[in-house]
Amino acid sequence: MSPQAFLRRVGFVLFLAVVTAFWALPMLWLVTAPFDAHPGLTVRWPEWTLDNFRRLSESPYAFSSLRNSVLLAGGAMILVTVFGALAAYALSRVHVPGRGAILYGMLLLSSIVTGTAAMVPIFQLMFTLGLIDDRTGVILVLTGGLLPAAIFVLKDFMDATPRSYEESARVFGASPTQVLRHVVLPIARPGLATIAVWALVNAWGDFLTAYILLRDPTKTPAGVVMYTFYSEGGQANLPLISAFSVLYALPVVVLYIFVSRRYGFRFHGGIKS
Amino acid sequence: MGEIRIEGLTKVYSGNVTALDRLDLTINDGEFFALLGPSGCGKTTLLRTIAGLEVATSGRIHIGERDVTKMSPGDRDVAMVFQDYALFPHMTVSDNIAYPLRIRKVDQASRAQTAARVGAGLGLNGLLERRPGELSGGQQQRVALARAMACEPSAFLFDEPLSNLDARLRLEARTFLKGLQHQLGVTTVFVTHDQAEALAMADRIAVMEAGRLRQLGTPAEIFHRPIDTFVANFIGSAPMTMLDADLVRGRLYVAGTTIEQEVAVRWSGPDPSDGPVVLGIRPEYVRVGAFGPMTVQATIRIVENLGATVLLTAETASGDRLQALVPDGTQPAVGAQVELSPVAERVLLYDEEGHLMTPATQAAPAPA
Amino acid sequence: MSDRAADAAGLGRPRAAAFMAPALLLITAFLVVPALWTLVLGATNYRLTGLAAANPQFVGTGNITEALSDPGFGWSLWLTLLFVLGSAIFGQSLAGLSLAWSLRSAPKVVKAVVETLVLMAWILPSSVVAFLWVAYLSRHGGTLNAILQTPGTDWLIQHPMASIIVFNIWRGTAFSMLLFSAALSAVPPSQMESARLVGAGTLAQLRDVVFPHIRGHVLTNTLLISLWTFNDFTPYLLTAGGPNHATEILPVFIYNRALYGGELGYGSAISFLMLIINLVIALFYVRLLRERR
Repeated sequence: MSPQAFLRRVGFVLFLAVVTAFWALPMLWLVTAPFDAHPGLTVRWPEWTLDNFRRLSESPYAFSSLRNSVLLAGGAMILVTVFGALAAYALSRVHVPGRGAILYGMLLLSSIVTGTAAMVPIFQLMFTLGLIDDRTGVILVLTGGLLPAAIFVLKDFMDATPRSYEESARVFGASPTQVLRHVVLPIARPGLATIAVWALVNAWGDFLTAYILLRDPTKTPAGVVMYTFYSEGGQANLPLISAFSVLYALPVVVLYIFVSRRYGFRFHGGIKS
Repeated sequence: MGEIRIEGLTKVYSGNVTALDRLDLTINDGEFFALLGPSGCGKTTLLRTIAGLEVATSGRIHIGERDVTKMSPGDRDVAMVFQDYALFPHMTVSDNIAYPLRIRKVDQASRAQTAARVGAGLGLNGLLERRPGELSGGQQQRVALARAMACEPSAFLFDEPLSNLDARLRLEARTFLKGLQHQLGVTTVFVTHDQAEALAMADRIAVMEAGRLRQLGTPAEIFHRPIDTFVANFIGSAPMTMLDADLVRGRLYVAGTTIEQEVAVRWSGPDPSDGPVVLGIRPEYVRVGAFGPMTVQATIRIVENLGATVLLTAETASGDRLQALVPDGTQPAVGAQVELSPVAERVLLYDEEGHLMTPATQAAPAPA
Repeated sequence: MSDRAADAAGLGRPRAAAFMAPALLLITAFLVVPALWTLVLGATNYRLTGLAAANPQFVGTGNITEALSDPGFGWSLWLTLLFVLGSAIFGQSLAGLSLAWSLRSAPKVVKAVVETLVLMAWILPSSVVAFLWVAYLSRHGGTLNAILQTPGTDWLIQHPMASIIVFNIWRGTAFSMLLFSAALSAVPPSQMESARLVGAGTLAQLRDVVFPHIRGHVLTNTLLISLWTFNDFTPYLLTAGGPNHATEILPVFIYNRALYGGELGYGSAISFLMLIINLVIALFYVRLLRERR
C-alpha cells in the first residue's frame, strides 16, 4: 500500500468513526439510563434494575398516554392508507383533467402548511368545529397533513404496476370491485405497507398537533406527556423520563427493524415529511 | 359462431389522435388472423377495441351473431393474452389459470380440476403450485394461454404473443401456437410488428398503417403482391430493392442509361400511360449471372453471411443499390464485377403514387 | 402511449370521483381551508381572550405591517435563515452526501450500523430525541462535556443557535442520505470507471461524473429539507425559543406569540408571511429544476 493510499484509508476509517460517534453518543443514554437504579444525565454503566418501569406504572398518565398514542397513530395510519390508496388508484388509472397540477399543488401545500404555519388557523378551525380536546380532531388533522405525500408516493407505486393486470381481469369478466380485491390490492401490498408504516411513525412522533389541540391530560399522547414530565417544576424526573422514553421509542424501533427486514429500507420518494 | 365483423370502426383519442379510421374487416370463424404493421399503426388499438378495453368512437363490432360494440369486456366472450402475459404474481399457476372460472363463481374443486386439465394439455403439470415469477418466459406464456383457454371463449386475442421471448424460443413458440390454434379451431386474432411472424403463423394478414387497412390477404398474396410500396417495404426479411424506372409504350427503361435492358410487360388491362414508375425487386428473386430479359452490371460492395444464404449488396454504375439473396457457397467476392438478373415474373411495378401496377397474371407464384 | 387506456380498470369517472372524495375532502378541510383562513385571520385583531376575542375587528394589512416593523419578527426571521442555511442546506446536504458516498465502499456491517443509527435519529419521536439532547448537552453531567473535557459548559445557554443547528443535522440527515444513496446508485458505474481510468480523483469524479447525474436530486433534496427545516418546531422542545429569544425561529415565534401569548390575529399574519416565504422557496427551486432540465 502506498503511503498516499494508507493515509486515505486512515482518513476514511476516521471519518466513519467520527460519524458513528456523532450519531450514537446522544442515543446511548436511552440504552443505559432506563435500567439504572440512579439514572443521571451522564451515560455510564448502569446499576441494573427494572425499578424505573415499576415507578412509571404508578404514574397516572404514563400508560394511558401510550394508549392514546396508539389510538391517534393507528387512526391516522388507517385513514391515510385507506383514503390515500383509493385516491391514488383513481388518480393513477382514470384520466382526470389537470391531475398533474392537483398532485403537485397538494404536495407543495402539504410540505408548506403542515406544522407550524397552519397552527393558528387549524386551532381556530378545530375551535369552531368543537373538536378541541377531541382525539378525532387530532387524527383528522394528522391525516389531512399526511395524505398528500401518501397519495403522491402511492400513485407512483400504482403507476409502476402494469395496467395489463387489471385489463386482463376485466376481459375475464371481473367487476371493478373484483379487480380491486383480487388484483390491485394484493399487488400493491408492499407499497401500502410502506405508507402505513410511514404514516404510523409520523403520527406516533407527533408533538405539535396534539400539544395544541388536546387539553385533557387523560387524552394526550405520549409525545406531549413526556414533555410535561421534564418541565414539571423545572426539575426533570429522570427515572420516569428514561423509562418512558424507551417505552415510547420501542414501537418505532421494532417497526423499523420489521420494515427493513421485510422490504429493505428502500426509498419511496418522500418517506417522511 | 366465432366470426368477428367490424364495420366502419373509428377510434379517436382525446387530443384528436385518430387511431382507427373507418375500418371494415371480417375475420372468419376459426381463422388465425394477423394484424400487422409498424408501431402506432392502430393494430393494438383495434385488438383492444375488439376486447372492449377501448370504446369505439363510431362503427360496430359483431362477434358471431352478437353486436358487442357497447358491451363491457367481460361480456364479450373473448379471451386476451397480453404482451407481458399479465399473470397475477400473487396467485399460483393453478389459481391464475382458473381465475376466469372464479369470476364465474365456479366452485374451488372444479376450478382446480379445470386448471389441471388445461395446464396438462400445455405441458404445465408439475408447475401448477408455483408462482409466475418462478417460471421461464416460455412457461409463463403457456400459463397465459391456459388461462385464456380455461374460459373457452369464442375468440382469442393475442397482443404481440412472441415479443417477450428470446429469439430461439420465439421460433418454437411460433410453431407451437400455430399447432395449438389449428387444434382448437377457435377464431384467433393476433397483433404483431414482425412480418415474419405474421407470414409464418397467420391464415390471413391485415397490414395496417395510420389507422387504415393497407392490404388484406393470405401470406402468399401479401408477400408476392404487396399492394403498394408501403406494404412492399414492410414485408420480407430483406427489404425490397426499389429502383426508379420509366415506362415508354409498354417497355421499361430502368435507371436511365445504366440498365438499357427493356422488358416486355404483358398488360391484362388497357396499357398504362407512359411515365415514371418504381420497380420493386425482392432480393430472394435476384440471381447472379445473366438470365432472362433483365440483367444489370454491378459491383459487389457488401457480403453478409446469413447461414444457408448470403445477402449481397451491389452497386450499379449509376449508384443504385441492388440486393440479392443467394445460396451459401455461390457468392462472389467483395469488389467483384457481376451480372445480376432479377426474375422477370417476380418483379413488381408501382406507379408514382406507389400503387401496384403489375397485373395478377404477371406475378403469380411460380415454381422457382 | 399515455393516452391509451384512460381508464384501465373500468372504474369510470363517477366511481373514480367517489374514490378520491374522502382524501380530497380531508385535504381541503385541513390544508386548503387553514391556508386560506390564515389570510382572513391575519387581517383581524383576533385574540384568544379579552374583548377582541368576542368581537374581532378587521384591521386589514395592519398585522402584516406591524409584523414587518416588529424587531422581534426581523430577529426571528434572521435566526430562521441561519437555522435553514446552517442545518439544512449545508449541514444535512453535505453530511447526507458524504455519508451516501463513503458508505458505498464501506464494509457491509459498518454500513448497516451507520445507516441504522442515522435512520434511528430520524424516526425516533421528537419528544424523545429532544430529551436525549437535553441530557447530552446538559451543563452538569452531560455526556458531551464529559467527552470534550469542558465541565460546566451549558451548551444550550452559551451556544444556543449552534446547538439547535447541530441537533437538526443529527436529526434530519437520514433523508438526504437515503435520497443521495438512491441517486448515486443510479449513476452508471461505467462512467465512474472511465473517469477513474483516466485518473480522476474523488473530487474530480464527484464534479464531472456524479454531480451532473444527481443535480436534480440535489435540488429536490434541498427544496424539501429547506421547507421542513423552515417549518420545524422541534427546537422548541430543546430551548423553548430561549435563552432570551436567542433561538426563537419563526415557528417558535408564532407559537409563543399566537398560542402562548394569545394574539391569534398577529400570529396568523406571521403565519401568512411564512406561507409566502415557503411558497417563494418552493417556486424558486421549481424554477431552478425546470431550467436545469
